[in-house]
Amino acid sequence: MNLKSLIEAKLDGEITPEQNAKLEAILVGDGNARRLYLELADQHARLLQRSDSPSERPQRSHSYLRTIRWRTSAFIASAAAIVLLAFAVWSHKPIASEATSYGAAMLSQTLDAEFTETTLRSGDTIAPGTLTLNKGVVQIEFFSGATALIEGATQIEIISAWEARCIKGRVRVHVPPAAKGFLMHAPDVKLEDLGTEFAMNVVGQDSAVHVFDGEVIAHAKNKAPASLKAGMSLSSSKAVVTPEDFLPISELQSLIKKREKLHSEQWQHWSMEARKDNRLIAYYPFKHWDDDGWDRMVNNLAQPVVLSRNGGAVGARWTQGRWPGKEALEFKRPGDRVRMNLDGTYAALTFACWVKVDSVDKKYNSLLLTDGYESGEPHWQIYEDGSLLFSIGYAGPGEKRITATTNQMYYSKPVFGPDSLGRWHHLAVTYDNASGTVVQYFDGQEVGREVSPLHQPGRPIGFGPCELGNWGLPTQGHQFPIRTLNGAIDEFAIYQIALSSAEIQAMFEQGKP
Amino acid sequence: MSPEPPSRTEQLVLLLTQNQEPLFRYIFSLVSSEADARDILQETSLALYRKFDQYETSRPFLPWAYRFAYLQIQKHRAKFARSPLLFSEDLIHLLALEREQMEPELDLRLQFLDECLGKLTPHDKELVASRYALRESAEEMMQRFAMSRRTLFRNLGLLRQRLHDCITRQIQSEALT
Repeated sequence: MNLKSLIEAKLDGEITPEQNAKLEAILVGDGNARRLYLELADQHARLLQRSDSPSERPQRSHSYLRTIRWRTSAFIASAAAIVLLAFAVWSHKPIASEATSYGAAMLSQTLDAEFTETTLRSGDTIAPGTLTLNKGVVQIEFFSGATALIEGATQIEIISAWEARCIKGRVRVHVPPAAKGFLMHAPDVKLEDLGTEFAMNVVGQDSAVHVFDGEVIAHAKNKAPASLKAGMSLSSSKAVVTPEDFLPISELQSLIKKREKLHSEQWQHWSMEARKDNRLIAYYPFKHWDDDGWDRMVNNLAQPVVLSRNGGAVGARWTQGRWPGKEALEFKRPGDRVRMNLDGTYAALTFACWVKVDSVDKKYNSLLLTDGYESGEPHWQIYEDGSLLFSIGYAGPGEKRITATTNQMYYSKPVFGPDSLGRWHHLAVTYDNASGTVVQYFDGQEVGREVSPLHQPGRPIGFGPCELGNWGLPTQGHQFPIRTLNGAIDEFAIYQIALSSAEIQAMFEQGKP
Repeated sequence: MSPEPPSRTEQLVLLLTQNQEPLFRYIFSLVSSEADARDILQETSLALYRKFDQYETSRPFLPWAYRFAYLQIQKHRAKFARSPLLFSEDLIHLLALEREQMEPELDLRLQFLDECLGKLTPHDKELVASRYALRESAEEMMQRFAMSRRTLFRNLGLLRQRLHDCITRQIQSEALT
């Protein structure tokens, strides 16, 4: 046994008396050996002490308290017990609370995908577990950097960012150098990827492998590990692998582009019809006009066109909307907004918009707000807990302003959280001044329905100067709270009636990315 | 036991909590048995409590605490003197001296441990988790990884040597930049 093995045996308590004598002799005579021993012992002691290592899995409930032998407890006086208690508490010290995610991978692209377990969408984080794709194609990006392309019908178990199991079906895996060592299990073989691209087909208990590029080590049961290089296949009588059967990633991209184009056309068609709806007060499809030298026009395209209802962007920059080719305005800085002036008084309203919220980082995050908050003026915002907040108020008799006792506030259930941030969602709210019912929608689904106890039928609704994505023109010397939306909007419609839930649902279906 | 004003006890509790980890590492390096090291750590903390009135707050705590730990290690060694698995008193003395000199270097090495743990293969990560985070017994691990005892400990040893090599490399590359 060499020095290193002797030290390791010592640290693990696996050393024999003879080996211990040998180690002692080496250490006594050799300063470098002592140095190595001290380094390895210190490293091992640190590992024994840490319970909150990021690379380790959640700890079982027992900590090392269980291994402590309370031999000395009989001697411990009460004050000393406090000292020991401090130790016990320390060893249980919880990790500082920080937002956590239990993901191992993310669903980066999907094409007509249908899962058995969940309704996963692209951009979703995937926790370890089994994923059954019934149809379609999906691209999974493991946090290690490995990427898998799976086609229905395929069942795959995500074990960790570094490990997956193909239970049945076809998987194509690309492993960049950073993810070298990625493991792919199959019923009768384990593939260790050495930075490469390979495909796998699993039928029943048999699997077949083809390596497109690089090298894979195949560990089959009862066989020596075999190295598979580019162009090589490993198959059995039941499972075969034909490289042409596997969709290349480039093809998925082009299929996805095609689908996006289709969706874009479908929405375009819907939008052309929808703008003819005479129930619209204004309709902003966020079209970026190439001939707009100022780059600031956010035109109202509701027909017949009322030019005075055109909007103007302030600060907000043009960015990509739901699809390539669809524009959106991005709101980030405290000044970013779209100014509008909407005339008229109404008996009902519907706001509907497509928005990508990057973060709910303020107490109130603006969608549409009138400049002040006068009687009958609606405000629509995202509250800090991720819920949608619609409010309208009427100043009490003899009062000039809306106060806490006259403000009608309607909160939906929280809809924005880690899973819904950073992607496009359809939001809508309807209100009519007869019933007083406020209904809120998220992606076509009702997420709040309420009548305020303060509601009195028949009071008019109005707008005047108002804006999207921010609140308020600061009057001189007056400080306004910052309510800028952190995100982007690519379509906003304002109706003078309360649309039905079926209509809202249809809008979502027609426009969803 | 002499009565202490509460603030003094609190002070000790604080110092012990802050220094428990390095103290454990010190003791472990000299006795290389986890269970013994934990016992000695407890006895040391009691000794520190008893002698805390002698501690001058202006001085660094750890070197002071190490002296008590070293005494407890000697006591422990005397009790189990006949065990064939202990290092000799002379070797322990030598190691203790050298370790104190090496301490800054050892602390520096540990700063790279996380990074190097992150570079382990998935299999090695699982071994680390099972041995250190889940604190599984050798038997549990033998079953889980379908390994003989010999292979299991050989793999654990090799894994720690990979970590050690990785840390050495990191420190060298750090020194170059």
